[in-house]
Amino acid sequence: MEDSVSRMRSGSLVHCGSGLRNMAARIIARCVRSLNHRAVCLNSINTAATLTAAPLTHGRTFSQLTNGHKSPLAQISGSSFQVFQWRQYGDLPPLTLETIHDRVLYVLKLYDKITPEKLQATSHFMKDLGLDSLDQVEIIMAMEDEFGFEIPDADAEKLMTPQEIVQYIADKKDVYE
Amino acid sequence: MLFCLYHSSIYLTMLMMSHPCFYLWLHRFLCRIIPNRTIHKNFFYSFRDKYRFYACLLRARFDENKHEKDMMKATMMLKAGEEEFWANQHPQPYLFPDSPGGTSYERYECYKAPEWCLDHWHPSEKAMYPDYFAKREQWKKLRVQSWDREVQQLQIETPADGPKSEALPPARKEGDLPPLWWQFVTRPRERPM
Repeated sequence: MEDSVSRMRSGSLVHCGSGLRNMAARIIARCVRSLNHRAVCLNSINTAATLTAAPLTHGRTFSQLTNGHKSPLAQISGSSFQVFQWRQYGDLPPLTLETIHDRVLYVLKLYDKITPEKLQATSHFMKDLGLDSLDQVEIIMAMEDEFGFEIPDADAEKLMTPQEIVQYIADKKDVYE
Repeated sequence: MLFCLYHSSIYLTMLMMSHPCFYLWLHRFLCRIIPNRTIHKNFFYSFRDKYRFYACLLRARFDENKHEKDMMKATMMLKAGEEEFWANQHPQPYLFPDSPGGTSYERYECYKAPEWCLDHWHPSEKAMYPDYFAKREQWKKLRVQSWDREVQQLQIETPADGPKSEALPPARKEGDLPPLWWQFVTRPRERPM
């Protein structure tokens, strides 16, 4: 019963022998899954990889025993690009280029002077979408509200396409630098 | 309330289109004003839809007087609008955490060590990250090579009585690096870990 349950929960832990190890693995898997769910939610890796992704200090030797893989680090770098911040203060989830892009386009689609069908990543506000400079200022303000940091005016007046906005935010927030 | 200012802000936008040189500073000024206006509107109306409604009303009143051509009138209206804004501003405006006056302004500055500290690491510590430091040596060589050309470009491009602004010029020649690129490339992370 225990064995089958552990087999269901963690694929590659099937190979470990003792029932005690299985139980411990299950508990750790549960803890790690809840801890790292947000951080690894973008990745479709199995529990074994989440075990390796867990704080390397205690998880590593155990998972090396259970996995029999060469290096858990390779799994991490292969499966996820995010930098794991060990000191998790009350901070926002880390940004990625895709999420920034999606959020920027989402906010732009909510703006009533833009038709969502015509909106592309490279559509210029003034030339393609026919917006005013004041509209552009409003858009930049909406971006400030969305991402929670101020964009100075000197930089704001130069951001004319959604792609430029995405690049600027990625630049300021050190995303895939 | 803040309609006047919005009016004049739009005038000046339109004016800026027609008289770029003179009214550029006014345009910049109003671009600073409009966010203030709308943001302060945000503070007064906590629900986004209400705020959006009143912001659109403001904007509509601006758009009515968009085509005003009289500069004097526009400037007077701008002044009036500024005063109205000052009178109607929010007593405790929300400042973003990273902006001056916000909660986490300069909070992580103490953790942002300059990159030359890496050169002072002990060799045993550097041996823990060999490939990083090997790459760093390459970058430093690149910097040494490009430094003279950067200085030359800056000396050519800076006017005699000092630079006009903090903005650095881009690289002019092919295969050249922009001046003072090292400071930019090796700037500390936004949130040092």
